[in-house]
Amino acid sequence: MSNKLISLPGRRKVLSALGSAASIAVAAPFVITPRRAFAAGKMVLVSYGGTYRTSVETALVKPFQQEFGVEVTVIDTPDLAKVKAQQMTGNIEWDVFDAVGAPGAQGSKAGYWEPLDPDMFDAKDIVGGLKKDLVPFYMFAGGIGWDPAKFGAGKAPRNFAEYWDVKKFPGLRTLRNRPSETLEAALLADGVAPNKLYPLDVDRAFKALERIKPHVGQWVTETPQAITLLERGEVSYSYVYASRVRTQTGGKYAFSFDQTLLGTEYLAVVKGAPNKANAMKFVQFAMRPDRQAALMTLLGNIPTSRKALPLVGEDARKWMGNIDNPNNAFLNDEFWADKFDVVGRRFKEWVLA
Amino acid sequence: MTARPGREAIIYLGPALVLALLVVLAPLAFVLYTSLFANGSFSLEAYQSLWESALFRRSLATTFEISAMGAALSLLLGYPVALHLSRLNPRARAFCMILVLVPFWTSILVKSYAFTVLLGKQGIVNASLSVIFGTEIQIPMLLNRVGVMVGMTNYLIPFVVFPVLASLLAIDRSVYRAVEIMGAKPPTVFWKVTLPLSMPGVASALISTFVMSTGFFVIPALLGGRKDVMLANLVDFYTRETLDWNMAAAIGVILLAIVTLIAGTAMQIQKMRGHARGV
Repeated sequence: MSNKLISLPGRRKVLSALGSAASIAVAAPFVITPRRAFAAGKMVLVSYGGTYRTSVETALVKPFQQEFGVEVTVIDTPDLAKVKAQQMTGNIEWDVFDAVGAPGAQGSKAGYWEPLDPDMFDAKDIVGGLKKDLVPFYMFAGGIGWDPAKFGAGKAPRNFAEYWDVKKFPGLRTLRNRPSETLEAALLADGVAPNKLYPLDVDRAFKALERIKPHVGQWVTETPQAITLLERGEVSYSYVYASRVRTQTGGKYAFSFDQTLLGTEYLAVVKGAPNKANAMKFVQFAMRPDRQAALMTLLGNIPTSRKALPLVGEDARKWMGNIDNPNNAFLNDEFWADKFDVVGRRFKEWVLA
Repeated sequence: MTARPGREAIIYLGPALVLALLVVLAPLAFVLYTSLFANGSFSLEAYQSLWESALFRRSLATTFEISAMGAALSLLLGYPVALHLSRLNPRARAFCMILVLVPFWTSILVKSYAFTVLLGKQGIVNASLSVIFGTEIQIPMLLNRVGVMVGMTNYLIPFVVFPVLASLLAIDRSVYRAVEIMGAKPPTVFWKVTLPLSMPGVASALISTFVMSTGFFVIPALLGGRKDVMLANLVDFYTRETLDWNMAAAIGVILLAIVTLIAGTAMQIQKMRGHARGV
């Protein structure tokens, strides 16, 4: 059959074009690999794409290159599975890893990070404290967001108990399609005190989730979707991040700072990093109060350097809330590093049921 | 198909064969190894715990359900397109084939967001229907099985059109002339001649779209509801979130085995039928 296909005139060109286009598309990820930075005066930073990347380049990468003459290659998407692959094969390509809380702690548990020298940092200045192989880079606030044009004052839930109150605030909501953050929100909604969350009462959390399940329009996998669903009117309220509301909607949407979940983003140096000395220098540089302030002015996340906070631009500071608000809860990454496997499986099963 | 490959074929196919062995077989062997060896010692634990896992069984069932539906729907939608293309002159056909390929050139991620705009509660389709009927219409077409099917058929239709078209074009024109002379009406021509003779294309379209569907990942995650979890999503969970590659590899091996079995059987049946007809 296939030989007949080729013998037909006119379509041969189209088909061969299709074939070569397809093979290029298939082969591209294998052929085009990131430039390696083995030589001195280089290093590789793995971070996120989009506006996040532009912000990191402006506030950290370029000034670092100017000050130290080290050329930094920025690669998208910190994927812990790739770190595992690099550790297994011994072919380490990454130096600095921009890690969300749970994967950061998971990597720490697995021994994927180089220990950090405490003398490099001003320990008293760092919110949350330096860990043996992770330094808190910034904090992010997760909470309830909505369109103020649709829901005026008093018409939208402002804390997790209200988020669970479908009688007072009818309409669909979103939650993350993962147990971390979602179980915490459920327990806060169920009346657990924010400072008494851990270790999480998993059974109680699932019971509380059972109540909200019919009212969840989407269990969000991709972070930007949490806001697009609000924009398209698919859901009335959404579990979103303050900094994302600021950048993705230009600050048009509302975010409640009455109660938030505060997560930590870490920086880590990959074990066996080819440019370890430069990587250490970069991490130290990223924690300098002036750099923290410059980056957080762009990102709108909360700096982990106390000295940086007053230096952050005014507009960005509006999106940080008050981290000392007693209604807030701090996510415990060590808890998830231990339990994610078991609770994650239970969560997925529960979502399907 | 029946032509026996000559000895020189080895020379031409050799390099491709070596490459295929390196980029396909070697990683596949590693996946099999990863599924059988946890922490350096042989164990069937991953397979055993998958066997006992309700999550796995449910995702497996969903995967086959969605794949079968996707393949069947794509065939229903793609067959008429192929039929139309087969009746065009070669130049118009070449142009229309490019049109069939256009959606193929857009990233599935971008398309999924585009479908949100089209199919949402307040999307273009629902808004237009509301205006036409003068009443608020909100047909749920997103974040459920309908959304998954729209996304999948959009992706799969080219894979139906091309093999079916090849089969249709291979039909001898004189057969049509003969049945028309004998007084057959168009529906009879279709059911008695066109459809049976295009079966090889239909079969290969069904097999390839079904096999492709079993590995879908982004579409169910973005356009589907909470129950539309496919095995690829589960593999992602074990690979990236829990870093349990033992389990991830075992899922991959099981999926591959089942798909090979189904596709192999289907192709065998197809071959036997071909021989029976003396093709």
